[in-house]
Amino acid sequence: MLFNSFHFLFFFIVVTSLYFMIPYKQRWFLLLVSSCYFYMAFVPIYILILGFTIVIDYFAGIYIENAKGSRRRLFLIFSLIANIGVLAIFKYYNFLNTNFSFLMHGFGLDNPIPYLSILLPVGLSFHTFQAMSYTIEVYRGHQKAERHFGIYSLYVMFYPQLVAGPIERPQNLLHQFREKYDFDYYRVAEGFRLILWGFFKKIVIADRLAIYVNTVYNNPTEHNGTTLILATIFFAFQIYCDFSGYSDIAIGTAKIMGFKLMTNFNRPYFARNISEFWKRWHISLSTWFKDYLYISLGGNRVSVPRWYFNLFIVFAVSGLWHGANWTYIIWGGLNGFYLVFAIVSKGFRDKINKFTGLVKFPLINNVFQILITFMLSCFAWIFFRANNVSDAFMIVKKILTSKGAIFIENPSIMIFSFLAIIILFLVELKKEYYKGNFSFFNNKRWLVRNLSYAALVIIILLMGVFDGGQFIYFQF
Amino acid sequence: MADNLFIFNFNIMIKILIYKIKKNPYKFFLVKLVVLFTIIFSLDFFIGNILGYFYFKQESGLQYRTTYSIEKTTADLLIFGSSRANHHYYPTLFEKRLNLSYYNVGRDGNFMFYHSAVLKGVLKRYSPKIIILDFIGKEFEENQNSYDRLSSLLPYYKTHPEMRSIIELKSKYERLKMPSFIYPYNSSIFTIAIGNTEFNKRRKGDIKGYIPLNKTLVGSIEIDSSSSKYEIDSIKIKAYESFIQDCKNSNVKLYIVCSPYFTSYNHSDYSLIIAKEIAKRNNIQFFDYSNDSTFLNKPQLFADISHLNEEGSKLFSNMLIDSIQKTIEKESK
Repeated sequence: MLFNSFHFLFFFIVVTSLYFMIPYKQRWFLLLVSSCYFYMAFVPIYILILGFTIVIDYFAGIYIENAKGSRRRLFLIFSLIANIGVLAIFKYYNFLNTNFSFLMHGFGLDNPIPYLSILLPVGLSFHTFQAMSYTIEVYRGHQKAERHFGIYSLYVMFYPQLVAGPIERPQNLLHQFREKYDFDYYRVAEGFRLILWGFFKKIVIADRLAIYVNTVYNNPTEHNGTTLILATIFFAFQIYCDFSGYSDIAIGTAKIMGFKLMTNFNRPYFARNISEFWKRWHISLSTWFKDYLYISLGGNRVSVPRWYFNLFIVFAVSGLWHGANWTYIIWGGLNGFYLVFAIVSKGFRDKINKFTGLVKFPLINNVFQILITFMLSCFAWIFFRANNVSDAFMIVKKILTSKGAIFIENPSIMIFSFLAIIILFLVELKKEYYKGNFSFFNNKRWLVRNLSYAALVIIILLMGVFDGGQFIYFQF
Repeated sequence: MADNLFIFNFNIMIKILIYKIKKNPYKFFLVKLVVLFTIIFSLDFFIGNILGYFYFKQESGLQYRTTYSIEKTTADLLIFGSSRANHHYYPTLFEKRLNLSYYNVGRDGNFMFYHSAVLKGVLKRYSPKIIILDFIGKEFEENQNSYDRLSSLLPYYKTHPEMRSIIELKSKYERLKMPSFIYPYNSSIFTIAIGNTEFNKRRKGDIKGYIPLNKTLVGSIEIDSSSSKYEIDSIKIKAYESFIQDCKNSNVKLYIVCSPYFTSYNHSDYSLIIAKEIAKRNNIQFFDYSNDSTFLNKPQLFADISHLNEEGSKLFSNMLIDSIQKTIEKESK
């Protein structure tokens, strides 16, 4: 079930109304049943995979807590193998097999392993990572094993964040299912505000930009470097608005019912370096990798070369998490390289800053750093969006060599696209640098508040794309 | 005195009411929601009506041509179809050689549903003498895009009940969206604005709906060896059958034509096979020029692989008129 559908609207109204009507002790059951329905609206049979990992991790958590010594580790490994195994089969099997075939052909041999005709279950990487964080936290002693099977199932299946995050930690979410949340007008209004803004990002910005991006990226041979640069910049905003829009709707939906989900995006394109970018982009995933992979590899408390290796490998794996394709791995590796390069070149860059005197002009310096970071992330997005690696390299080559006029198929789409980006920029700029000033949605005057909401709805009706665009991150 | 007392009591009553509402968060929320929706509906009504006024006031452009096709044209010969219809049928040749008035109803990127809906709108007003339907390859392929494109007919939903059943195919929730006054003009604000200026007329003037293409294709013929079979959408076939039936019921002479492509196909298109069968069953003449030798590997007649340029359209129009005349002669004997 897509958030941007009437199906979800009816579902949301029914579930939320029932949620506040029934006694709070029975609410977990309502949420669990509705989450099952929500997930089964995609491909019903895949609930069995979700059920499999839930059962494994539920018992693994209890066994880890009860066991002592090396047996704790054994149960954790068992749980991790089960989770990663599901991911490997459903997400990476055919990718690994293709690469194996390529390797075999290199030796003049045929690959005897058959391909599987399987559809990737929606949001598999999200709920698997959320489930894994539970057993790891129980193993580390940061979280008590959940004995209530229904509540644990809900932790994995909670519908607002089931298919595209934020990837929650048990310490933040599990206890919330036992708490009593009354209907609070201001909290509910804040939830609706987030949902509305999420829809604006998705329908008005992401889906609009997708029209141009798809036209250009699905046929890169036909377009010149200038057009490809514009399509890449559009894609940077498209993916941000698509994914952060989903997160806003998810957080808002949960907030209305009283649940506090973690912030997933914090205006990433205002980051002044790549390290800061990753502290602002898909925060729930980057902190997941930091907590469970980077630190497990030794983090920065190792030799310098090993530290660089740790950074690089974490980002490469993060790329692989996004999809079974070399384009994602290169995208992740490129971000790892940016980080390592930033560390290695810090002294040199500081000297240049001192030499040019840029540090004396903080505003110009900040704008310059923001632009450089944005350009670096855009360059990496080429690999993320390109249909395959050869397309990506061809796009890079064209950007560097082929100039020409920008391709404009429909001027209307261009105007809408730029208008949407300008609105986003102004709103984010205000949130980033002028937090307390000229507030529309939190204005003291009710008329200004209501007109602001109404204006946002009207803009969505006027400029939104209503042809049911899928959220990009559903495929991950 | 009594008046002042009444005002005093009324003020107190209002304050008590507000206090009671504020005390109950559900009521407070509902009241706020009602206020917000009232503002939204008012704005929607006001802006939607302004957009509607300017939409139907346009004098050029795609949207104007659709309105003209549905609500104004009285031409003897109508050309239906997508962009290929729009660029392939040269008006003066049809007018002179067939001695009929002409209008091209074709619209870029629109498919069978659009043709069928527009035909219903036309037939409600009058019956043209001849209709030519330009049929494209893969017309019956299952494809969400052709449903999404029905958005171009949303402005006619309220005023043309005969088209509603087709427009509602766009999505199962279309009826729920239609109470909005803005929604039918979604994403159209700039097109409407441009349509109310002289911009379109100066940029790309149409000749009775026909738009000549002046480019020339550079390149050699492409061989399409993709699979001839694909998922067929039965609803599209029904729309095609309904198009034929509507013409028959209104005594309109219908010719179905597949105009030339630059691409050469290794196989017959599946939709084309089905379309020909249905046409044959209904005694409708189907002219297939998709792989005609006159156009084979002649890039100078094409603007791109799917569209003839002006020179190509003249050549093709003459060939088609010859065929139509022969058919008319045969039938009169």
